[in-house]
Amino acid sequence: MTHLAPATVIDLPALHTAAAAAGLTVLASACWPETDTDAEVKPLAGFIESTFSPLLAQTADRVLSRRPEPAAPDRVTAIVIATAFGDVTSATHVARAVDLGQRVGPLLFFQSVPNAVAGYLAARWRLTGPIACVGGLGAGLDIAAALIEDADADEALVVWVDLGVTEDDRDRAAAIVVTSTR
Amino acid sequence: MADHPAVAAPLAAPLAARSGTGAAVLVGAAVASAYGRGTEALLAGMLSGQPAFSAVTRFDVTARRTSVAATMAGSPTLLTEVTRAVRDACDDACLSPPDRARSPLFLAIHGHPAIARVPAADRHLFSTDAFAAAVAERGGLANSGIRCYTSACVAASTAIADAAAMISRGRVDRVIVAGGYLVESDQFALFDAGRTLAADGRVRPFSAGRRGLLLGDGVGAVVIESAERAKARRAPVLARLAGWGRTGDAYHPCQPRPDGHGLARAIGAALQRAGIAAGDLGYVNAHGSGTKQSDLAEASALRLALGDAAATIPVSSTKSLHGQALEASGVLELIVTLLAVGKGMLPVNAGFLGSDDECRLNLVLGESLAATPEYAMSLNAAFGGANTALVIGRS
Repeated sequence: MTHLAPATVIDLPALHTAAAAAGLTVLASACWPETDTDAEVKPLAGFIESTFSPLLAQTADRVLSRRPEPAAPDRVTAIVIATAFGDVTSATHVARAVDLGQRVGPLLFFQSVPNAVAGYLAARWRLTGPIACVGGLGAGLDIAAALIEDADADEALVVWVDLGVTEDDRDRAAAIVVTSTR
Repeated sequence: MADHPAVAAPLAAPLAARSGTGAAVLVGAAVASAYGRGTEALLAGMLSGQPAFSAVTRFDVTARRTSVAATMAGSPTLLTEVTRAVRDACDDACLSPPDRARSPLFLAIHGHPAIARVPAADRHLFSTDAFAAAVAERGGLANSGIRCYTSACVAASTAIADAAAMISRGRVDRVIVAGGYLVESDQFALFDAGRTLAADGRVRPFSAGRRGLLLGDGVGAVVIESAERAKARRAPVLARLAGWGRTGDAYHPCQPRPDGHGLARAIGAALQRAGIAAGDLGYVNAHGSGTKQSDLAEASALRLALGDAAATIPVSSTKSLHGQALEASGVLELIVTLLAVGKGMLPVNAGFLGSDDECRLNLVLGESLAATPEYAMSLNAAFGGANTALVIGRS
């Protein structure tokens, strides 16, 4: 099993180290925020109220565009999302509306699971591998390694994202594209 | 979104790459649904052919377009029900306390059920992993190696496939996979807002006139173990977990690829790992959500992956009976499949009104079908175009 520090303190060097420990070679990496220009997450069409899916998509787009060379057309790429709390902004928005007896907007239904933004990325980047969402980054790396070993994927996009759950936290994400060293 | 992108062939990877040398077997199962707690209650409900849907009284549904779901009696809580299922499955597998304490938990849930309503300052205490750890502790399982899957309707089936793969390759010798969903106000409101709930109060998979899905309580746990280890401790084997496949459509955030190619690849991979031909399957427990697009895509996938055999293999979606259990669907429906094979009775595809030419399959209609399949398959699909196929074989 891959052991990692709590997700809120993950940085890219730690992520590279953890990936190597899971038997994975990192082809590209990215995080958010990376520079001072990463002040606000860009909106993502079709996703509302929460930065969860836009942040995940923006970080994934960033890492996929940094691949040293494009993936071969027949290469199968899995998507593994690791998030300790999920889209807590959307969840609290829905809970508040329900408790007040208000209707919930239909777009919130479509973004109610992390699979939706995974599907957006899969369509945009032609990623035909399995989609898995788990609570921990260590588990996510282990799943990526196992999917490649099991030949259901040639490589994996692993994205960790967690929104700031308290007033002092800020939204953070990191992503890597990996293949197996085994 | 993408217009039918080219995807890898169903059997792109050689068998040797897709399998380890060991075999994974199911040695314990426990379940709770609207039919009650226990596998006997679920089997009786399935074979009755009577859907478990009734008016929701657990929360206020007066503002919703649909007021029906398949819910258990009383006021069950997720932590209590999932923990009970884990313990019962371990009892079923004759696991000693030391055996349990060495067994990791893979849990499939939507998220921590409390996180949306706790004060912001406390939210960091309500991660999905924290919930899984609580289940593991209460169930007497290992305190490491715990995973919490939140991948919508393929969460539990993906966990089962991952567990089987790890056991096949000797990474672990046993995993407890559990999943749980109890119908609650927030998901009900979201599905209502998405206009996916069947306004006529029935789920009619693959049928003309189908109008959508209905939610249902589902909690299940299975013990998956290496065949070698199960034999060594003389554990009763319920079935072999013979094959599994997981794929993605690369098509759309929430719509399935209409030609079913992604799901067909998952079926192909599962058959390949099981080492069987399509014609060896004696039953398919379909994803069969009862929605227009999903059923159409799944029927296409079955015809694509199974060829001529798709016309003869009995198919039913038991969501027409127990409802849609979201993240728990994979484990609930694998247990339904296990029970059907064990009993030699295939459950009915309820709610059928008439044929839909685009969903032509050999559906089990009217009443349960007596059959003794050597192999059966359970399918699941989810938002994002995620697909899984699980194949079990008689022990």
